[in-house]
Amino acid sequence: MRKIILLAASALLVSGSFAQTINRTHPPKPGPAPEIKLDNPAVFQLKNGIKVLVVENHKVPSISASYFVYTGPIKEGEKAGVMNLMGGMLNEGTQTMSKAAFDQAAEQDGTSINLNSSGGYISALNRYFEKGLSLLADGLQNPAMQQAAFDKLKSQSLSGLKIAEKSINTIAQNVTGALAYGKTSPLGEFETSASIKSIQLADVKSYYNKYITPSSGYLTIVGDIQPKEAQKLAEKYFANWKGASVTVAKVLPVDNPAKTEIDLVDVPTAVQSVINVTNVISLPLDSKDYFAALIANQILGGGADAYLFKDLREKHGYTYGAYSSIAGGIHQTRFNASASVRNAVTDSSVLLLLDNIQKLRSEKVSEDLLKDTKAVFNGNFALGTENPSRIAGFARNIMIYNLPEDYYRNYLQKINAVTAADVQRVAGKYFNHDNTRIVIAGKADSILPGLKKLGFPVKLYDNDANPVLVSDINQGPTASAETIINHYLSAIGGKEHLAKIKSIAGTGNMKIQTMEIPFITKKMAPNLELMEMSMNGKVVSKSVFDGKAGYQEQMGQKKAFEPGSDEIKKYGDMKGVFEQAFYQDGSYKLATGKTTKINGSDAYQLSVTGASGNKSVEYYDVKSGLLVQSESTVTSNGQTMTMRSAYSDYKKVGDVLLPYNQTLTVSSAAGEQVLEMVYTDFKLNEGVSAEDFK
Amino acid sequence: MSIHAKSGCLIAGALFLSMAVSAQKVKFTEYDLDNGLHVILHQDKSAPVVAVSVMYHVGSKNETTGLTGFAHFFEHLLFEGSKNIKRGDFMKIVSAGGGSNNANTTQDRTFYYEEFPSNQFKLGLWLESERMMHPVINEIGVNTQREVVKEEKRMNVDNRPYGHLLEEVFKRLFVKHPYRWVPIGSMEDINRAKLTQFQDFFKKFYVPGNAVLSIAGDINLDSAKTWIGDYFAAIPGGPKVTQPAIQEAPITKEIVDTAYDANIQLPGIITAYRTPAENTHDAVVLDMISSILSGGASSRLYKELVDEKKTALEVVSFNYALEDYGAYLTFALPNGNTSLDSLLTDINANIEDLQNNLISEKDYQKLLNQAEMRFVQANNKDLGIAENLANGYTFFNKNTNHINEELQEIRSVTREEIRDVARKFLNPNQRVVLYYLPKGK
Repeated sequence: MRKIILLAASALLVSGSFAQTINRTHPPKPGPAPEIKLDNPAVFQLKNGIKVLVVENHKVPSISASYFVYTGPIKEGEKAGVMNLMGGMLNEGTQTMSKAAFDQAAEQDGTSINLNSSGGYISALNRYFEKGLSLLADGLQNPAMQQAAFDKLKSQSLSGLKIAEKSINTIAQNVTGALAYGKTSPLGEFETSASIKSIQLADVKSYYNKYITPSSGYLTIVGDIQPKEAQKLAEKYFANWKGASVTVAKVLPVDNPAKTEIDLVDVPTAVQSVINVTNVISLPLDSKDYFAALIANQILGGGADAYLFKDLREKHGYTYGAYSSIAGGIHQTRFNASASVRNAVTDSSVLLLLDNIQKLRSEKVSEDLLKDTKAVFNGNFALGTENPSRIAGFARNIMIYNLPEDYYRNYLQKINAVTAADVQRVAGKYFNHDNTRIVIAGKADSILPGLKKLGFPVKLYDNDANPVLVSDINQGPTASAETIINHYLSAIGGKEHLAKIKSIAGTGNMKIQTMEIPFITKKMAPNLELMEMSMNGKVVSKSVFDGKAGYQEQMGQKKAFEPGSDEIKKYGDMKGVFEQAFYQDGSYKLATGKTTKINGSDAYQLSVTGASGNKSVEYYDVKSGLLVQSESTVTSNGQTMTMRSAYSDYKKVGDVLLPYNQTLTVSSAAGEQVLEMVYTDFKLNEGVSAEDFK
Repeated sequence: MSIHAKSGCLIAGALFLSMAVSAQKVKFTEYDLDNGLHVILHQDKSAPVVAVSVMYHVGSKNETTGLTGFAHFFEHLLFEGSKNIKRGDFMKIVSAGGGSNNANTTQDRTFYYEEFPSNQFKLGLWLESERMMHPVINEIGVNTQREVVKEEKRMNVDNRPYGHLLEEVFKRLFVKHPYRWVPIGSMEDINRAKLTQFQDFFKKFYVPGNAVLSIAGDINLDSAKTWIGDYFAAIPGGPKVTQPAIQEAPITKEIVDTAYDANIQLPGIITAYRTPAENTHDAVVLDMISSILSGGASSRLYKELVDEKKTALEVVSFNYALEDYGAYLTFALPNGNTSLDSLLTDINANIEDLQNNLISEKDYQKLLNQAEMRFVQANNKDLGIAENLANGYTFFNKNTNHINEELQEIRSVTREEIRDVARKFLNPNQRVVLYYLPKGK
């Protein structure tokens, strides 16, 4: 019946008046599956061995060509980065054309061209294709290799590394590969400033001669062109090229850690940790496990409907995305599960990643889930038909990896044959849990304590994947709270003198970026406080507490401290102008922590919790005894901010020492702001009255 | 005609093929449902694939102060489920249908899409109609996605080198217009957003009359129209949406400022000029100017600064064109010890050259070739076509055919116009100069 109504509706075309006839409560059933045509590209071989693959596609009037040399992994060792530089040099002109002329020749036609360490690519409007192909051939076969161009690329590469060195993703990627495969493996090495500096033009030329050659070369031409014409052009521009023959090196397999460990790289500026749970695997494309491993990976972390995404993102809100990946190949590859998560949930996220891996290893997936996952592969295979160059990629893989001729034609059949038992078996075999490596790049002082509690050994590495000695980070406490406080009190003038001071008034200038803003501060025992900033003689910001209540005023907008707020708690804990004099009265909880370096000198850490529960962490210089830094966290409007004050330039005022420089750093997820307060004058016990704090 | 041809034959071929190019027209049909939903259909049977998309004419410029990031946050909520799709099942249904999907939000619009094998076309219609008709927006979804959005911001902005660059530029370039904040918004505002506000936002902006359903791929036009009626006609039309009309006073004095980024070691220098809306002829000319200055290795700025003087590691310029205004941006990173000011001097000199001298005939021809190549590449996938068609309707005066007129308009621009537009919009007293510096520890 519905069929008839639908037919009638389609006769009426645009009308929507039949909307009520459909059942919205369930997803509509699919139509008959479309037939996926998997044509073979035209393939022929040039006399120098280059294999040419042509895919004819007339959808748009453009043609692309790519040249690819299959070399396998290449060890660069101390000259890591030489292949990249070599690839760059192929874009620096040819023996008959300057770089400027070469670029101009391509771009004048709207042609895009790019050469790299494994070949090159051009894409052109069909009327300009021949010229583009001739440029690609010239760039590959006759690069200029001039010293000046090399010097330029090398200096650019060093500048570029400055960006990469600060990028947490690059750091995580470098260190993860280096630790998994070993830093000396071609699969684990990465470029550094030092390795780039050591590379000379002669190195680049030698790598060029070895690896840019017709041997193992594949020329793929796709687009609005007949195979015959493509063959003619390939012969014309590539057949006379001669070069060294490539042998693919063997890479020795490496082991995973015997027991799961955490490898941490400190990135002090990070607001998120990048976590990679990874182990090396051996999984050739024609392995009987390959298709089951693809499905297992899809279920674990292949997309928005996978275990990791649904758990870490949709259930816990820890991350923007959590995924896993797996690759097959001739050499060892890696299984990797990863997420970028905020600092505070780094340890919890590690556990969730591991739990989900374990779930797949220990529980058989349901038939429904398996069916839906197979649908993803079947669907993607169909969606891939939109990309005409895909069949050329398939054909090239078959040749490079010696796969059966019908490998891709049987691809879906193999996917559809995978069983739930297969999935569990390969998860157990390839997704390690008890013997895996958890590589984390993140802010160590925020995340290390939590990570240590997980029970895995934690090893520290630097950005270059070199181990960092633990003793550099943590020396353990060496003084009691009492000693630290007494040392401080005597260093700034002694308890007797301090007790006489009931008020302090200070004036100075605050530097925010390039601006200077005058301010005054007043303190009066026990806990009255005022701070005012002014611009052009007008007060623009005021913060005040009169012993019971207080408020903040900015640009005429006044906001009272709310009862129970962090501000009220903080003031409630204060008992005098010099708080430290009261730390040992029994109402504070004191704990010493590790000794750390502040401005290059050792400092004791003391954490102080007042009766209200409000907590701050203070650092006292080991030698001078002076307070050099304090940190506290404030929550306001649902956002957590960390405030760090650094104290320096202590000078004598009357009988006591006061810090003339106080630099306040406010960090929140939105960023960091630095306010440098430089005092010009302090007055003790004068110029302050209770009236000032209204 | 100045083609570097090796033989006359090539020239003849070129003439023939350029006719073929003009024949490569994107065909489509379009109509409105009674509830106001605009429908665009493009049929392409070359692959068994269909792209189903909905473009809602709402983005961060429809937000108010204190609620920045709202439109993008909302985009996340519309994956949470509907009356007939349980929470968490949206993605599952897409996967089980063998498809893929996503969404993105700009200052001006929010774009949702699915790509399916063509036998799942109806599934795509059902999903998008469920989303439009009766999505479930509740507290648990808001609270979960709040954390997810904050992580997205940390990953893509706060933890990324140069991640705050656009934000720092736009907040200086715009004073009153909501373009002064970026779609991701601020953490404080993301924390503040409330469930009821989201429900109101949906009622106000996610109405059929404020949306375009754009479909491209292996479809049958007749049955497509029937099915679209089946799934979308029952959705009630809503109130008419009014877009903000906020005028900025022109910038008349150069604004020089500094911003800091903890994730970089290498400083950068940015100039930003406020430019006209994307649907103006001037915006087309500004696009061409960006090709002259930095489109490719043979472009003027790249060639001079990166290759010849070797003073820049990277230099780019582009016209960030939006519905109400645009921003013409240049951005350069120094190589070695080059000062930012010397980069600025050279960038200025290149813009002055455009203001004082006509570009050569040859450079002009190059611009046309590059534009043609861009056009060809923008329209070789169904999803790209669906989006470009919807863009034309939404932002170019309801002209869905804009996709086919773009090249024509580029060809109509004269060399004199290029000079005049540079003179009109790219002067030092109309811009922001931003020194983007590493933040010390």
